[in-house]
Amino acid sequence: MTRTHPLLQPYKPSSDDPFDAIKAAHLLNRAGFGGRPDEVAKVVEMGPERAVDWLLDFPDAPAEEQTQSDVPDLSSIDGYPKNFREIKTLYVNKTQEERKAIQQQLQQANREAIGETVTWWMNRMANGPHPLQEKLTLFWHGHFCTSAKDERSAWLMWQQNETLRQRCAGNFHQFVRAISRDPAMLDYLNNTQNHKQHPNENYARELMELFTLGIGNYTEDDIKNSARSFTGWSHDGDDFVFRKFDHDEGIKTFMGHSGNFDGDDIVEIIMHHPACAPYIASKLFKFFVYEDLEDGLAEALGSELRENNYELRPLLQTMLTSKAFYSPRAIGSQIKSPIQLVVGTSRLMDMKVPSVRIMQGALSQMGQVPFGPPNVKGWAGGRMWINTSTLFVRYNTATAMVGGGALAPLTGRKPARARGLKDPKINVDDNGSPEAIVEDWINRLIQRPVEDDKKKVLVEALGENPREDSVKKMIQLIVSMPEYQLC
Amino acid sequence: MQKANTGEAPVPRKERAAMQKPITTRRVFLQKGLTLLAVTPTIPAFLDQTVMAIAQPNDVKRTQQPSGKDGKILVVVQMSGGNDGINTVVPWADPAYHRARPSLGHNDKEVLKLDSYVGLHPSLGPLKNLYEDGRAAVIQGVGYPNPNRSHFRSMDIWHSAQPEKELTTNGWLGRYFDNQCAGCDPHVGVSIGDQLPLAMRGDRITPLSFERPETYRYNGRDKDDYMKLNKIDESKAPAAPSTQPAPAIAKPMAKNKQIEITPANQLDFLHRTAMDAQVSSDDILRMVRGHDANGYPNGEFGSGLRTVAAMIGGGLPTRVYYVSLGGFDTHANEKGRHDQLMQQFGQGVAAFMSDLKNQGNDERVLVMTFSEFGRRVEQNASGGTDHGTAAPMFVFGKALKHGLLGKYPSLTDLDHGDLKYTVDFRSVYATVLQDWLNAPSKPILGDQFRTLDMVKV
Repeated sequence: MTRTHPLLQPYKPSSDDPFDAIKAAHLLNRAGFGGRPDEVAKVVEMGPERAVDWLLDFPDAPAEEQTQSDVPDLSSIDGYPKNFREIKTLYVNKTQEERKAIQQQLQQANREAIGETVTWWMNRMANGPHPLQEKLTLFWHGHFCTSAKDERSAWLMWQQNETLRQRCAGNFHQFVRAISRDPAMLDYLNNTQNHKQHPNENYARELMELFTLGIGNYTEDDIKNSARSFTGWSHDGDDFVFRKFDHDEGIKTFMGHSGNFDGDDIVEIIMHHPACAPYIASKLFKFFVYEDLEDGLAEALGSELRENNYELRPLLQTMLTSKAFYSPRAIGSQIKSPIQLVVGTSRLMDMKVPSVRIMQGALSQMGQVPFGPPNVKGWAGGRMWINTSTLFVRYNTATAMVGGGALAPLTGRKPARARGLKDPKINVDDNGSPEAIVEDWINRLIQRPVEDDKKKVLVEALGENPREDSVKKMIQLIVSMPEYQLC
Repeated sequence: MQKANTGEAPVPRKERAAMQKPITTRRVFLQKGLTLLAVTPTIPAFLDQTVMAIAQPNDVKRTQQPSGKDGKILVVVQMSGGNDGINTVVPWADPAYHRARPSLGHNDKEVLKLDSYVGLHPSLGPLKNLYEDGRAAVIQGVGYPNPNRSHFRSMDIWHSAQPEKELTTNGWLGRYFDNQCAGCDPHVGVSIGDQLPLAMRGDRITPLSFERPETYRYNGRDKDDYMKLNKIDESKAPAAPSTQPAPAIAKPMAKNKQIEITPANQLDFLHRTAMDAQVSSDDILRMVRGHDANGYPNGEFGSGLRTVAAMIGGGLPTRVYYVSLGGFDTHANEKGRHDQLMQQFGQGVAAFMSDLKNQGNDERVLVMTFSEFGRRVEQNASGGTDHGTAAPMFVFGKALKHGLLGKYPSLTDLDHGDLKYTVDFRSVYATVLQDWLNAPSKPILGDQFRTLDMVKV
């Protein structure tokens, strides 16, 4: 491993700069969705290196392969199979026509199935066995963006989600090959309409502009020839199919190379482009560490990825153990994404993530619905999450979640639709002073030092004889602090 | 007005003293804000526009940016689901109409006739009155080439005004904001609804959006302490970009970066936004609560228009408001449903127009309606109509030249059973942008579309 940039050197704890609870919580926030006090303590004990090894130690496999029962539960949907697997069994011994009819029937409750799939995923983020795998899955969902809008099949969206999970820390080159065959992606970027006679350039363009190289690293001719190479890459409603008769077998010229290319050849040539590795590596860095990279960092990260043959794990290991990762610019400087806010709040409060039926309105008003990115560019993130409307929704959502209240005033919907938030369990330590209780909850929820003035406000809000109700009120105030928006 | 983050202007001692005190209430804020704006980097970013407009309504020069008390206002009404244009503006005198819609067609006698060929849906009486008063216009046959009959796609096309682009990231009004209001506060656009429509989404400016004014505020129990935790503490040294400790090893890239992201900067940004939000929320709630008007129909559409009228009356410096009326996807049993929608639509718009008239704001406001598509000429077997193409748009306001614009598409010369459009919707947008909002339309629409002779200059 090279670690050519000084900021990528491993962070070594010292007495001046110990690996304390703040740093451990930082790691759990960025490489997951936050840690409760016991988890933070465990990570402090492990130390920065072992903790990252532990976080990265997950199987490169879909959730279902890891635990067979770990699949979205569709049993509450009328006329739907219990889960997506059963759909396959419905097809057995059916004609093409009959299969179409089944697909059409499933499509009618598609939105509900999408909702259940998202609920399943968010609970996996909060309480699943491998937080970093889910964090990476979320990253790649925002990268290889696909939206369920336009009634895209829930079954295909789930399949894609599993592909993202399986490959999230694997080999990027193989990842791009897999995504280029992913049915939901082929649909979303119209490669199903990329015909030999009428090429559709949508996938070919975004493959380079957004997925691998960034704008300005290719010509319009490259796009045309790439599109021709991807003609005939389609799916049959369930799986990838290569329609040979619809594939352009002519000679294509792409980035200075000529031949009878197919999609895999195009991807291979792209992987050799010098812009590819720095583009991907720095995007990961921005997601996990901070947005504005110092000079030379993107190149250093890129060469590390290239030297490891596009294996992502070593790069992630370097990033998450680096000096940059634990620098003052990184800790507490990231604005939580709406998903981080909702999942993290559930996690820190030790509660189930409310179902998407309840959270949909809030997530949408905050600007991040899983399976619903605004466009193929994904979520801009950072300060773009925040404006006067979204900030209220963020405060109100977190407040309602920790208070066990209804989200009705938040979404403007009738309480009947919005009820269902469960009271989090809050134990009041009878022996604790108000100051100690406030300190405890700040450590649990904000995980960084807070100004004395603000602590005073919280202590006063708690009152002299804290009861569950006043503790709850104080917790609501903590999650309504600007500090809680950051991690 | 200097943008906040220069932060280096010398501060007179008297004002520096004022800055030491935390600004805790809106009132104090308004009193002090004006003098502080130029000198402190922690003042909420948008207030240089909004507070000026609210606090100094007579300062015409100031308040006209971007809209303020005297600026022109556009209100967009979206009819979601595909409104049946043929039964809204009815070609009553055409035998082909009655042939195509044997049970769904309106009787000649009921139609509210505009001329010897077309008339309005029988439930649009209130709009007929506006029409006769010269305050309503109908643009007939509006559509676009190669029409798409998917709700989502066609809606995207109307919002983005970029039919040829597959994936759109911003809308025509968003691009108007981006082009015209660099550095504007988010109040340039206000959308009433559960999410911001693509049409209003800019790359640089995100307008406000909320379902109801009551949802645009902090809903926790302890509002006073919430304010204390979110206020801007002026006694703390402002977090100027350059004073933050950066890692000693390497310099952050300076190019194309306005501010360096540090934890302190982020907190400061959140505090400022929270303050913005509080001031804005208080103002809007005050405006809506203090607004006395009646005649609006029940339901989200009526209350949305009422909220907009209250904000216009309250002097919010907004250029574009956006409201929606949904439920137009009438594939079956259209009759009763469409009648209800038309009534809600007509009554809502009429109440809004008279509200504005009572406020003395009716000359400043133009209302424009649209739907993602019209419906098939021929009714279907379920007593409804399927997705179609071209449809009429309504425009309401005092500054209108003509009642009927464009040409009603032929009911017999069809494209796959659908009307052929006679007016490109981007011509209507261009007219609104150029002749009403005084903005060049080409940079926003990507091309110069012919404008309609619609607005009195």
